[in-house]
Amino acid sequence: MIILAIESSCDETSASVIKEDSGVLDIASNIVSSQIDIHKKYGGVVPEVAARHHVKNIIPVISEAMEEAGITKDDIDLIAVTSGPGLITSLIVGVESAKSLGVAWGIPVLQVNHMYAHLAANFLNNDIKFPAIALVVSGGHTELILINGHDNFKKIGQTLDDAAGEAFDKVGKMLGLEYPGGPIISKRALEGDSARFSLPRPMIGSGDYNFSFSGLKTAVLYKLKEIDILNEQDVNDMCASFQQAAVDVLVKKTIKAAQSVGAKTIFMAGGVAANKKLREDLSVSAKDSSFEFFVPEFKYCTDNAAMIGIAAYHLLKEKMPDLDNWKNIKADPGWELE
Amino acid sequence: MKIITKSEKETYNFAREFAMQLAGGETICMVGDLGSGKTAFSKGLASGLGVDKIITSPTFVLMKNYEAKNGSIDKFAHIDAYRLSDANDLEAIGATDYINDDNCITAIEWADRVRDIWPKDCIEIDFKHLDGDQREINIKK
Repeated sequence: MIILAIESSCDETSASVIKEDSGVLDIASNIVSSQIDIHKKYGGVVPEVAARHHVKNIIPVISEAMEEAGITKDDIDLIAVTSGPGLITSLIVGVESAKSLGVAWGIPVLQVNHMYAHLAANFLNNDIKFPAIALVVSGGHTELILINGHDNFKKIGQTLDDAAGEAFDKVGKMLGLEYPGGPIISKRALEGDSARFSLPRPMIGSGDYNFSFSGLKTAVLYKLKEIDILNEQDVNDMCASFQQAAVDVLVKKTIKAAQSVGAKTIFMAGGVAANKKLREDLSVSAKDSSFEFFVPEFKYCTDNAAMIGIAAYHLLKEKMPDLDNWKNIKADPGWELE
Repeated sequence: MKIITKSEKETYNFAREFAMQLAGGETICMVGDLGSGKTAFSKGLASGLGVDKIITSPTFVLMKNYEAKNGSIDKFAHIDAYRLSDANDLEAIGATDYINDDNCITAIEWADRVRDIWPKDCIEIDFKHLDGDQREINIKK
């Protein structure tokens, strides 16, 4: 089976070709056209600007993905596309392009949930033992998901205010760092002392699986107000202290959730899963507590179409979705995993 | 009207009471720095409007929409203009539909960045961070 996957939920335009042979998946291509440089000056993604670039990029990106995979339209069995959650103006471009190609080529279209796809990136030729606990961390999400099968999942906890990635971006902005804050804070933290500033670990002992990062951000603000002129070392130390506080809460709550539900496996997904410190600390803690641990390769952590294709393959295999009414698929910006 | 709250919880409770006095169709324009109480106020507002979902930050997606249950008010639109420099982007995602809806309460954080979108009869609320956990909340009609 050959799947053409399309992703345009935020600021990356991406297309991928997945080839499946006897249950083994091969990512034949995964083209990502990023707009990060375009949105840098705004400190975040601007929907109208993003949509215009998606419109411009989407067909060239799809062509390139097909060319690199060495396929033509006649080889494709299914088109998979992200239809939510995300920015409405960005999602529409991918969804309508997928449907147009579906009509023109006579190929069915399957809609895929973007957050499910982040999780599914871990399924790529891994034999996952269920139940599993997944920590989903990105600019817009921080959630703990209980997974009982490839298509059976339930949200058991979430942030009550800011997403972890958003806290990184906002602290980055307070420190005068470039957007996006995550990668720069992670880099500056390597030169910093994580014990220099004492910051809270919000909700670390709350007894549930929820998170809060708004208060941590405010605590950083208070500490910064105490310093008159911030030097480079102060910035590095704050990056290290803040990152450690955020990572501590994420790791502790994930391990506790896994223990409470009797999970066999822990995995991580979403853009913040690319954070090195978080990968290291969660990996060590998971192994210490005898859980199997998976995290996707860096290139499959940030938004990409390969994960949409992997998710589509598992949905097809496990759930046998209805493919008759695909012409009615609509972009759904608020499509949350229940 | 100006009040001073001594904790996040007090800000939340004040907003909850405030929400119950709204008739529907109001736009609340919140102005204040990071950590000055806008998020706590928004959460209280939503609770007072009978929203039963968890209110999470709309910074990333710019607008989140919720179902409300308080008399004729059946929608709560939570907008965050933190990343924006003008109102065009809010119009692109359909924010004006909610602002002009009589059955919707619209709350805009960082509203000073999108003054073009403020309706004439909006309620402006300024937030100030005083010492420690104290916040000054100034409601201007």
